[in-house]
Amino acid sequence: MTTSPALGQRDASWMAARRAEAASKVPALSMPSTREEIWRYLDLDFDPRLDAFAEAPGPAMAADAIVTGWKGEVISIVDGFATDASLPLVTETSEDELLTKETDLFVAAYMAFSPGAVVLSGDRLATPVLIDVQSTGSNTTFPGVHIDVPAGSDASVVVRMRSASDEGSVVVPRLTSVVGDNARLNLSVVQDWNYATRSFARAIVTLGRDAGLTLAEAGIGGLLSRLHLDVDFVGNGSYAKIYGAYFGEDDQTLDYRYFMNHIGTNTRCDMFLKGAVEDDALSVFTGLIRIEETGQKTESFQTNRNLILSSGASAQSVPNLEILANDVKCGHGSSVGPLDENQRYYLMSRGLTPDRADQLQVRGFFEQVVSHIPDDVVADWVRARIIAKYVTAQREGRV
Amino acid sequence: MTNALEVHDLRASIGDLQILKGFDLVVPFGEVHAIMGPNGSGKSTFSHVLMGKSDYEASGSAKVAGVEVMGLSVDERARAGLFQAFQYPTEIPGVTLDELTHEMALSNPDDTGFDQRIAETSERLSMDPFRTRSINLGLSGGEKKRSEMYLLGVADPRVAILDEIDSGLDIDAVRQVAAMVEDLRDPQIGVVIITHYSRILRYINADKVHVMVAGRIVESGGPEVADTLEAGGYADYQIAAASAS
Ligand SMILES: Nc1ncnc2c1ncn2[C@@H]1O[C@H](COP(=O)(O)OP(=O)(O)OP(=O)(O)O)[C@@H](O)[C@H]1O
Ligand SMILES: [Mg+2]
Repeated sequence: MTTSPALGQRDASWMAARRAEAASKVPALSMPSTREEIWRYLDLDFDPRLDAFAEAPGPAMAADAIVTGWKGEVISIVDGFATDASLPLVTETSEDELLTKETDLFVAAYMAFSPGAVVLSGDRLATPVLIDVQSTGSNTTFPGVHIDVPAGSDASVVVRMRSASDEGSVVVPRLTSVVGDNARLNLSVVQDWNYATRSFARAIVTLGRDAGLTLAEAGIGGLLSRLHLDVDFVGNGSYAKIYGAYFGEDDQTLDYRYFMNHIGTNTRCDMFLKGAVEDDALSVFTGLIRIEETGQKTESFQTNRNLILSSGASAQSVPNLEILANDVKCGHGSSVGPLDENQRYYLMSRGLTPDRADQLQVRGFFEQVVSHIPDDVVADWVRARIIAKYVTAQREGRV
Repeated sequence: MTNALEVHDLRASIGDLQILKGFDLVVPFGEVHAIMGPNGSGKSTFSHVLMGKSDYEASGSAKVAGVEVMGLSVDERARAGLFQAFQYPTEIPGVTLDELTHEMALSNPDDTGFDQRIAETSERLSMDPFRTRSINLGLSGGEKKRSEMYLLGVADPRVAILDEIDSGLDIDAVRQVAAMVEDLRDPQIGVVIITHYSRILRYINADKVHVMVAGRIVESGGPEVADTLEAGGYADYQIAAASAS
């Protein structure tokens, strides 16, 4: 294994300049306000320690079932640094395209302190890639991945995120992708931070003409884990299927802000997120389907279903529509509620104890999204993690 | 001798609404009984109260193979040998029939016959395409009933209550279900069919037909009772029940 050089050493001049500029802005920026809709419901009363950024990677975490079960290439990003120094990093052009619309504290900090996003493109996407993103210490880290799917090709990428330190860390991950004309990206994101980590992930996917995205996200870990996603349906005929499964316990907050921006004509999106919360956990889903004037013949749907498994837990589910075109089909559904009594009764009438009946119901609830994770090892791992959380809570009388 | 099912003075209400008002029924092992009665007379409520559904305030006695089940939880009643085929089987998204039968086997570790019954009943009812689908989800009315019959075959209970198992079935399916019920007839089991149609009783030799009106059994007799009902409806019974209460 090669070790990456310390932050800044490999910087191209454009990167150094931008880094310096962003770093100069950071001190003046304050924590976002929860009065802003996009930060609503969160507890941001903590010190993000953004200048305590990692200057070098810590010792990598051991391989686990996902890594050992993976048949293709594995790329590790430890504390923001790619452990394989030969991997290309982001270039000025690819980065500029994806500079975000907002400049908040976390975006500025990412610009200032990230060692640079790993770029996956061309041949490297010929076979499925697993990206193992690790936060190993208590430093604040800024891992980045950029996936450039060439026109007409298929790519399959799993990004999993995990952390090691009990002292607590802040991670600001950034995931960007440009899916070329008539190309397809199959992306799974498995968020498995430990319960001391706070993560503020930003993801932006831009779809070309007839380009397709399938995204399956599983949110399991994190004290506070946020994923702010934009999918820009720029190309005519582009389409996406977006699945999400999240399970919060203890004091976890799982926060999803999904924005579907339909710009081209004839674009299509199906979004389906399912979550459960127990103990004092909170989940937030705010989704926006935005259809520009140019987005005629858009078909876009979002559904978010939530199970509340204990009385102290809560789920916010806020789907929104913003439609500027007149010839579109869209809709949204959202629900928050307990386990279904009739299902429990039916399963018990077949001889299952109430605990087993509820386990089956919880498993079934998530199956409709977990079954869309393309890699079987990853899907089974997510299934097992979710049910283990629930069964432990049952055993300890927390649900 | 122990009977398959002995129900005595079963009463059930929801809030102020009394639904079962002293329901009595005895089904000996090896017999198949039919219960007929107008809509809303409480037939499904009887089935649910016997199964232990928590919506109802219930009292009375119900013995399954000699075991008092009132006071037991729903799953304990199932494991005591009670099976209910639901009039409206519940959909369980994301859970397959195979997963359910697997769990049923795990719930009854002493019963080693599950694998064989799964194979046999599945073959008999051509269940293969349904076993890997979500339970009851998107099934037609008749397919749901078939799925319930499949689970009955897999469960191998001591008492089976089949609530309108013949509703929504095409002619061939009614015959198939009837044949399966006749095959079930065994000194180890007692069967109760709740039905609106004497049609299924043409293929099943019901040992007794009971008429249920306004929360209780008002008449019991042989198969001829079904023919009388077919000709005259429930009007006479309903008038009698109204003047009695
Ligand atoms: N959970 C419930 N809540 C409120 N009312 C109920 C409930 N269950 C049953 N009832 C009422 O009790 C009465 C009996 O209902 P039940 O379903 O037992 O009738 P049934 O004889 O099975 O009718 P059908 O032939 O239409 O299936 C009806 O008036 C019904 O509305
Ligand atoms: Mg009924």
